[in-house]
Amino acid sequence: MIMIMIRAVVRPEKSGLVLSELLDAGYVGVTKEEVYGRGRQKGIIVGEVHYDELPKELLIIIAEDADKEDIIKIIMRNAKTGENGNFGDGRIFITPVEEAYTISSGKAGL
Amino acid sequence: MKEIMAFIRLNMVNPTKHALAKVGYPSFTCSKAVGRGKKPLAAEAIQVIMDNAGSVPADEIGEHLSEGIRLVPRRSFSLIVDDEQVALAVKTIIQVNQTGTPGDGRLFVMPVAEGYNIRTGERQIKELDR
Repeated sequence: MIMIMIRAVVRPEKSGLVLSELLDAGYVGVTKEEVYGRGRQKGIIVGEVHYDELPKELLIIIAEDADKEDIIKIIMRNAKTGENGNFGDGRIFITPVEEAYTISSGKAGL
Repeated sequence: MKEIMAFIRLNMVNPTKHALAKVGYPSFTCSKAVGRGKKPLAAEAIQVIMDNAGSVPADEIGEHLSEGIRLVPRRSFSLIVDDEQVALAVKTIIQVNQTGTPGDGRLFVMPVAEGYNIRTGERQIKELDR
């Protein structure tokens, strides 16, 4: 079984929706962190003020490779603002995971 | 090199830190995180309420609990080790953090492509080249 880590940086106001939709689709395990960052647009420039540390939330999901497309689709659909999306809606990154353990049982695997 | 990323209980950071230092891995990064596991409901939270009140209250709190999307606070604890050290580090983290009840956390091992030392600018092939 190939495992992957999906890291999604989403708008803080969208993370609740993404999480509940993931839950409904059966992807229960998830971790959320508060992060700050900027994207390709260099943050937001309003007059002379430059906001380059915008608050976002990082969702970390470990899943089977087979579920990748489904999870990405759910995140994309629910983290997007408006019809066509906007700058700042976030990014999704995928990393391979070689081993996974549950600490309470000491067992390997998801 | 491999990255070991563990999501552990808040009060377990110190014991984990000390145990890892003892077996030779003093460096780590730790950050605040919240999350949920396989069980959609936070079993611990309900247990605490049951102990205090006798049953899950039928008011707002009870309703909130039954929503099933409660995220519980955890620490994300990550360290980078050499390939051959993964087994020992994983064993140590599991040993220290295991209480046997659900919620002890999860642990993941991921490959790391490259590492650099910012002070010297050197490329790190092995984690312990410091």
